Amino acid sequence: MAELLSALFTWFVFPGFIFLLLCTWAFDWLDRRIIARFHGRVGPPWFQPLADWIKLLAKEDILSTGINERLAAILPMLSFAMVLAASLYIPVAGYTAAAFEGDLIVVLFLLSMPALAYFLAGWISGGAYGIMGGNRALLQYFSYEVPFLMAMVGPAILGNSWSISQIAQQQTGTLWYAFVQPVGFILAIIGLIGKLKRDPLDIPKAKSEVVGGSLTEYSGRKLVLWHLTMEMQAVLGIFLLINTFLGGAITAMVGLNILLFFLMAMVILLSLSTASVIYARLRIDQLAYLGWRVFAPLALLQIAFVVWMGG
Amino acid sequence: MTMSGTTSGTLLTRWAAPMVRWARRKSPWVLHYNTGGCNGCDIEILAALTPRYDVERLGILKEAAPRHADILLCTGPVTLQSRDRLRRIYAQMAAPKWVAVIGSCGCSGGVFQGGPNVMGGIDQVIPVDVFIPGCPCRPEAVIDGLAQLLEMI
Ligand code: SF4
Repeated sequence: MAELLSALFTWFVFPGFIFLLLCTWAFDWLDRRIIARFHGRVGPPWFQPLADWIKLLAKEDILSTGINERLAAILPMLSFAMVLAASLYIPVAGYTAAAFEGDLIVVLFLLSMPALAYFLAGWISGGAYGIMGGNRALLQYFSYEVPFLMAMVGPAILGNSWSISQIAQQQTGTLWYAFVQPVGFILAIIGLIGKLKRDPLDIPKAKSEVVGGSLTEYSGRKLVLWHLTMEMQAVLGIFLLINTFLGGAITAMVGLNILLFFLMAMVILLSLSTASVIYARLRIDQLAYLGWRVFAPLALLQIAFVVWMGG
Repeated sequence: MTMSGTTSGTLLTRWAAPMVRWARRKSPWVLHYNTGGCNGCDIEILAALTPRYDVERLGILKEAAPRHADILLCTGPVTLQSRDRLRRIYAQMAAPKWVAVIGSCGCSGGVFQGGPNVMGGIDQVIPVDVFIPGCPCRPEAVIDGLAQLLEMI
């Protein structure tokens, strides 16, 4: 009984669903607030994400005629479920709901499936903008995902494990992998920006070009699920980077860990917000060029360097 | 005020009504459509959305897709050409939705009144919740009008 209760606690409260939802709320608000401060304005109040979610939940849910309703309803739920499943394996300051050898690969898979669902959602939505946004999303996926995956191989080789918690553990007492392989770290951050479709790489949902991208035709509950998926992906992506590159904030002092973890998360969030403020949107061909001719070779060099160092 | 469209009256929505009402007042997303004005009002709307006025403090975000928006900001008189498009955009928005008319043209036809291709104000075509007159109206007036609309929600 006690085991079941503790399992339920880790799945649903900490570091599970409720904790993640609160993090999503906080990160979303902080992100908008930081961007507002960069613009020299005040920004939204702290309850803004919650108000947005509730409002969207209570809005009418309409679809265009001729659209496959069941698929349109399943896709956002499926991607949200994937992201939540990935959260089980990502440790928060050393606490994790589950772990096994090879969970890094599972997490990377689960975090990249929403991109495919996003493409499909645009494809079936029956609007020209949806189809165009979906195609762009897929093209962008091929550009950022390969360097991102290769950047993730570095820590796995150094940590001698495919388990995220193991990789984080390996870094206690040694130099964090972000300092050993700075190129990989930067590539991973760029990959994360691409994954989240955030500002310099928001090609699939550029408002002035393809209106709302894949989500143009969706409203109400489906839209809020998509938003939540994206925002939670941001939180998990940041947590993943902390674990693989910044040692998972595991120190000798247990009380300090959580504080350090959130400090690191803030720093990464700040860098993401800064990037979205100072860079203008790339064109899709520029991104493909960068992804395949610059980022992928750099990531290969990084892996070669890691292997040469002796793993 | 005409409350355009009703939410489905399930038990949950009735129970959570005050919270939903609060959320709607705190998170109005606007969509901007020019039905045939001179563009003066549109520039004032954009000015109201710039960092200087910071309408994100009220939760106002500019959306590009009608499906995502709560408030339709219309400028200009309704021309015969834009009439059907205006109707269609209004129909594409998900309920509950509100319409704010910006500028004298949209209120009554303004300087274009009586033109052969002009139907008159926006309220000839779709139900309107607030009129914000001015030719063009200042960004402060736009924000004031939207704040009054939020009071009515
Ligand atoms: S009200 Fe004046 S400024 Fe606005 S669209 Fe009409 S003519 Fe132009």
